[in-house]
Amino acid sequence: MNLRDDFPIFKHRPELTYFDNAATAQRPQSVLDAEQKFYTTYNSNIHRGPNFLAEEATIQYEDARRKVADFVGARQKHEIIFTKNATEAINLVARTFGETLQAQDVILLSKMEHHSNIVPWLQLAERKDLEIKWMGISTDWRVRLDPALFDKRVKLVAVTGMSNVLGTITDLKPIIKAAHAVGAKVLVDASQLAVHEPISVRDLDVDFLVLTGHKLYGPTGIGALYGKEELLNPLPPFMDGGDMISAVFMDRFIPAGLPQKFEAGTPNIAGAIGFGAAVDYMAKLGFKKIQKMENELTSTLLTKLTKLDYIKIVGPETLDHRGSVVSFTMQGVHPHDVADGLSSKGICIRAGFHCAQPLMDHLKMSGTARMSLSFYNTKEEIDKAMGVLEEIYSYFTK
Amino acid sequence: MDLYAQNILDRFKHPFHKDKVVQPSLWNQEANYSCGDKVEAKLEIEGAVLKKYSFSGDGCAISQASADILGDLVEGMTLDAILGMTKGELFDSLGIEISLRRSQCALLGLLTLQNAILKSRKEPLRTWNHFS
Repeated sequence: MNLRDDFPIFKHRPELTYFDNAATAQRPQSVLDAEQKFYTTYNSNIHRGPNFLAEEATIQYEDARRKVADFVGARQKHEIIFTKNATEAINLVARTFGETLQAQDVILLSKMEHHSNIVPWLQLAERKDLEIKWMGISTDWRVRLDPALFDKRVKLVAVTGMSNVLGTITDLKPIIKAAHAVGAKVLVDASQLAVHEPISVRDLDVDFLVLTGHKLYGPTGIGALYGKEELLNPLPPFMDGGDMISAVFMDRFIPAGLPQKFEAGTPNIAGAIGFGAAVDYMAKLGFKKIQKMENELTSTLLTKLTKLDYIKIVGPETLDHRGSVVSFTMQGVHPHDVADGLSSKGICIRAGFHCAQPLMDHLKMSGTARMSLSFYNTKEEIDKAMGVLEEIYSYFTK
Repeated sequence: MDLYAQNILDRFKHPFHKDKVVQPSLWNQEANYSCGDKVEAKLEIEGAVLKKYSFSGDGCAISQASADILGDLVEGMTLDAILGMTKGELFDSLGIEISLRRSQCALLGLLTLQNAILKSRKEPLRTWNHFS
């Protein structure tokens, strides 16, 4: 069976070549069905409703939490907090765990972070008079572990599991070990990593990890924070309102326990259920198969791009420590013109800074073109794109 | 491939006003940080009139061609008239449909030019919102 058939957008747009999966993936029919089924057969608010419909909705919502917990190998399902995306999950940690930090404490980031894993920390640093320090990039395009950066002042290390620009996968375990050795906690931005590699938060011994549903073939507007129970428990609530309390009086309130404490208001119930269905879809396919298909495609793409002497790959040219996100530049042609050229032939890619301006500044580049592949892409699509790249190059330079 | 109108491609490859030698009395630089386009405007002013327009820059074909075509329009205009110039007037001269996703590219030259004048008058600078 062709996996492409699982994704209705390709029925509606048979000519579409979608190479922008790192921005957002397409959704399989099973995810759309799960959301639709909630609205059409058991739509109700959750948790508080004393009726059978509310109970049914609550069971499905909490079942989705269990699926996401299993997906990242969490010990307890209440260690998963549903958020609207990875950005909100990072902000949640910055606004709760971050408030426990003291002036002169250090937050360690890497130079290849997405803006969403930079800006919340810059703001926190300003509020609390903290210092931000930066892990550099090694010659093989990965986050460089510089032991000199790890000292007792470091309280948090926030690092990506996989670069959304370079495609490289971070060697997380040594970084987490180095952080724990000085008493620092670690937050991993797994927005990209979770799409391509199996994750076990227990094996990594990571403290916080964030996900976004829409890159994992799930709906937009839903994401998750994993946090160790013993870390989440003492933290103050993030947003205040309904559902996050256990009792409210006229002069005080008692927050609910995990996970409700961090899920104020009616959440994205349909989104969470869709997220659960997406995780089911990935589990059914299995990472072994996903990686085999994506590696084959990535290898083909890298080989073909390397053959064009006017293309420079920004990132590793082999499959070592990398996923299917491939950035490149074309000599004499701006990345946006490359993207427009491909777009005119029905091929979607991303171009620009990819929300990683510090990385671009570090590389002294004014943007890249990025092709990010999924298992539903084909070698024929890559061939087609290569032909268009050649056309674009002659159009702009000859 | 037929991506942009021929005039855009021509002016991108063979600009008239790019890196032209002028005696600038006004100078300004702006960038579009979402894609890395940069334009630097150098203006020779005589009284209240822009006598010569020159720019330097780096960026996509639309940003650079638009900054160049802008020079055809503004040389000889009063500074006040330049500040009153609209997005529509510029886009009409480009001769192509500017999609929403490329409109900041096309406006970068005009923003840089108008802010050069505002900067010299110590007036508040414009942002992209001015054109929306």
